[in-house]
Parts: sequence; C-alpha cells; structure tokens
Amino acid sequence: MRFFETVHGWLTRVSHVAVWVGGAALLLSAIMVTVDVLCRKFLGVTMSGSDEITGYVFAASTTWAYSYTLLTRSNVRIDAAYNFMPIWLRSVLDIVGLALLLAYMAYLTDKAIDVFVTSWERDSVSITTLATPQWIPQLAWVMGLVLFCFTGAFVLLYSVVSLLRGDLVRVQQVAGAMNVEDEIASETHGLGVSTRGRDGGA
Amino acid sequence: MAGWTVLILLVLVVASVPVAAVLGVLTLALDQMYMDGRLAVAIGEFTWDKSKEFVLVAVPMFILLGEIMLRAGIAKRMYEAVIQWLSWLPGGLMHANIGSCAIFAASSGSSVATAATVGTVAYPEMRKRNYNERLFLGSLAAGGTLGILIPPSINLIIYGLITDSSVPELYLAGIVPGVILATLFMLIIIVSCWYRRDWDGEKVETSWGQRIRTLPDLVPPILLFGVVVGSIYAGIATPTEAASVGVVFALILAALNRTLSVSMLREAFEGTMRTTAMIMIIILAAVFLNFILGFIGVTQALLQTIEALGLTPMQTMILLVGFYLVLGMFMETLSMLLTTVPIVFPIVVSLGFDPVWFGILVTVLMEAALITPPIGVNLYVVQGIRLQGGPFNDVAYGAAPFVVMMIVMVGLLLAFPELALWLPTAVYR
Repeated sequence: MRFFETVHGWLTRVSHVAVWVGGAALLLSAIMVTVDVLCRKFLGVTMSGSDEITGYVFAASTTWAYSYTLLTRSNVRIDAAYNFMPIWLRSVLDIVGLALLLAYMAYLTDKAIDVFVTSWERDSVSITTLATPQWIPQLAWVMGLVLFCFTGAFVLLYSVVSLLRGDLVRVQQVAGAMNVEDEIASETHGLGVSTRGRDGGA
Repeated sequence: MAGWTVLILLVLVVASVPVAAVLGVLTLALDQMYMDGRLAVAIGEFTWDKSKEFVLVAVPMFILLGEIMLRAGIAKRMYEAVIQWLSWLPGGLMHANIGSCAIFAASSGSSVATAATVGTVAYPEMRKRNYNERLFLGSLAAGGTLGILIPPSINLIIYGLITDSSVPELYLAGIVPGVILATLFMLIIIVSCWYRRDWDGEKVETSWGQRIRTLPDLVPPILLFGVVVGSIYAGIATPTEAASVGVVFALILAALNRTLSVSMLREAFEGTMRTTAMIMIIILAAVFLNFILGFIGVTQALLQTIEALGLTPMQTMILLVGFYLVLGMFMETLSMLLTTVPIVFPIVVSLGFDPVWFGILVTVLMEAALITPPIGVNLYVVQGIRLQGGPFNDVAYGAAPFVVMMIVMVGLLLAFPELALWLPTAVYR
C-alpha cells in the first residue's frame, strides 16, 4: 500500500500545481480583457485577440483542473439514496461510478487526441487576425484530459485494491462521495468559516 | 425511446454515479442504440468548440470574482452598516441578515457563499441579543439563496448556456423578482415578530449620524455591482468582459483592504478551478447530450406525450412547479438544473412561455430547493455556523416561513410574468 500512498501524494501535488497555473492564467486573462475593454472605451483602440486567447486559456485551465476535482472527490453525485446504503455497497458504487466516469472521459480524450493530431497534420489555424495554429492550445487542452485519465485509472486501481483488501474506509477516503460537511468546508475554505465549533470571521 | 432515456438516467442517478458520467454514458448509449454510434465520434470537435467559447468564460470569471470578494474582508463592516439602516424594523437584525445577503448577492453568484459569509458575521449577534434562534437561522439560510437570483448569478449563466437564452436579459429579469423576494422575506419577519413579540431580540443603538458614517462601508459591494451589471447594460461590455473587469476591481479592493496575498490568491484559485471543473465537466456532457436528444427525436417524443395529456399550458406549468418543489427536496440545485432543464425547456417553449421568464421561475424554485429538507444545502451551511450546536430541525423549521414566501413569489411570477420581463423588455425588446 505504501506504493499507492506515494503515487497518490505525488498526483495530488501535480494537480495542485496544475490548478494554481490554471487559476493564475485565468487571472492574467481577466487583466488582459479589462485592459482591452478600457482601451476600447476610453481610447477607441481595439486590441484584437484577447477574447480568443482567453478562450484557449479557459479550455486548457478547465481540463487541467479535472484531476484536482477528482482527487478532492468534488465531482457532483446525487447522494440521496447513497447516504442510506451500507458502507460496502457505497464502496462498490464508488468504484462503479468512477469506472463509468473514466470510461466516458477516456472516450472523450481519445477523440480529443484525434482533434489535436488532425490540426497538427493539416497545420490548421484559427480564422481570426491572430491565425493561431490550433495544435498549440489543443495540446494544452489534451494534456489536461490525459492527466485526468491517468489520475482516474490510478484512483480506480487504488480503490479496487483497497476493496479487495477489505479496507472500506480507504475506499471512502479515495473515491467516496463528499458528505455535506466536506462540501461546505471546500466551498468556504480559507475563509475562517467554521463548519463545526471554531470561531471565525470572514 | 423516451422511456429508455428516463430509465437509464434513473438507474445511474440512484446509484450515485457522478452526474457527468451519467450524462456521458447516456449519450454514448443512446447513440449506440439509435444511430449506430455515428454521432459520438464528433464529440472531440464538438467539445473543443464549446470549451473555448468566450461567452462561457463568464462562468470561471464570475466564480473567481466571488472567491476574491469572499476573501477581501468586506463582510463584517458591510453587515454593521446594514444594521444601522434596517434594524429599527420589528425583527431587528433579521432584516439586516436579509439586506446584507441581498447586497452580498449582488457581488457573488453563489448561494452557499452568501449564506456562509453573512451567517458567520451575524451568528454572534444573535446570541448576544436573544433572538429566536429558529427564525434567525431561517432568515440566514433563506437570505443566502438570493445569491443565485440577484445578478451576477452562476445559475443564470448556466441556464442561459443550456437554453441559448441571453444572459444579460436573464440578469435584468432577476433584479425585480430578487428585490420583491427580499421584501417578502422581510414582510414575513415583521408579521412573525408582531405575532410573537418574544421572537424579536434587543434593539441595536442607531442614529442618523452613525448611519451616515457607515455609508462608505456599503460603497465597495454596490460599486462592484454597478461596474459589473452596469457595464453590461450600458452596452460597454459583454457578460464575460464585465466579469473580467469585476475580477480586477475585486483584486484592487482586496489590495486596499490589505487582504491580498499569495496564499489568499492560491485559495481563491483552488476554489475557482474546483468549481469551474466540476461545472464544466457536466455542462459539456449536457450540451452534447442535448444535441443527441434533439437529433434522435427524444425531445419530440416527450412533447407528444405531454400534448397527449391534454392539459392547458398553465396546468402543465403548475405541474412542473410541483415537480421541481418535490425534486428540490432531494437534489442539489446544480445537478437538478443540468439534468432537468434540457428536457423540460423545449416543452415549456412549445407551450408558449417566455424562455427568460422560465429561467427566473426555475431559479426561484432552485432557491426553494436550497432550504427544503432533507437535502437543502443552505440549511446545512447555517447549521454549520452554529458554534453552540443544536438540532438540525431548528434551521429547517425556521426556514419554512421563507419557503412559503418563495411559493408566493412563484405564484406572483405565474400571475404577472411582467415582474420578470418588464426590465429586459424595456431595455432590449
């Protein structure tokens, strides 16, 4: 199990970095778009292309965050029935759900790689003044998807091995649905909003 | 065909499969069954085109804006300012709860964040001044829900995306119902406190001098609202651009408040990207499913089923309202929006209802879903801020009068669609 823990920790660090990079890129895009809007309004100058670049940043930063979302167990699941099930059944459903998510995402990733390869082979460029070679943003976009598939396959393996060893608590920790307290904690993290007991001010 | 769709959907949902996988697997299954898998091959191209759409960038920008504002440290001073202006009413601080939530909602698109932020500031005051705990907590849970009705709202952007409705029109349409709903909340507080004097708490010292002095604390959120929503209507900026300007504005505000730091930004990035990825993975699947459903004729089949029932449009709408109220007790709002609207929307439009109006109606129903047990996220948020603890039922009971007011609001919208449509019509149509 030591091996799994090590890889899990390593993937968590990678996903954190991916999220910080993605977030910072979005913030820079916001600044770029703001400058664009102000220039247009007050100077009458339009810098073309900020919207296009922002779109690429958005596409890539989103896929880069998928693996973080998976590792923090933040994928939306409807747990109305789940919450009333015994832990062994929940663990089985965690694994089934993860396998289905991975199957869908693997299919999407496969088709996304096709899109990238086609752009690369045909030297496709965007029909804008920037004439961006499409393979550049598409590569960043595909990288996030591949990272997700890799993370998903690992988490699936980790939880299946834990299930086989009878370690149901670990299956919950790695792949279980978030309970409400987890959910609130992650929506308000870093705010000092406490979900149980501690005093805090936002 | 429609039968299979609903069956697959139900089984996967009950099994608590991630919503993105439910929609994705359903898409692939339907395509296999009816089109021999010819459509799904296009999923790569389709998803890339949607993923980079500039209009969609409004989603992460508004989330980032909210995340920075939450951490900019304006909540406490804003709450104290609102106390000065509203606490003379019977029900005292509970009006400040509603008022602060409404103002905070105007700079935040999330109901959970609104309830958590205002709740944390308000809770110690409730203990100090002996308010009826149930009603006080209920007012926080209910006030927080205004976050998704008063623009900017993440839910309205998502509704706009999956139904191809105009987000600026939806934002305009949300303002009047948002103000009316806040007023209805305050009305029920006044009535309750007239009926039971002991539910009210001790009065706070207020004076005109203090009121004037606290005004500057209200400026940042109102200015932000003006910058974001104002620039959309002045035709200066698209929603995405307005959100970006809002992000920069919030950043400056945080810097002035000396709350801007690397670790604060990292927290904001993590929160933003987590929510964005969580939403986008579902939206992209939902949009593709929509395309497939339309193509193989499921939507058409559903419409015929509804027509065969022989109900008037208004009867169908009331049935839908009932369906959403019940569903809202058990489902979290975002998944409810993303799984039901693609199916319900074509029906609603074919019955002759206005798409923007329906967006507002659905949003009010989502608000009700946030405070109806057993699954009402805002109830749990407020339960979470009770330092002394106590039974969960307190919050659920306390929120009940506000649910009644939301149903009144739904009735008003059904009777007078102009409440939502007047502003967008005046500006755009």
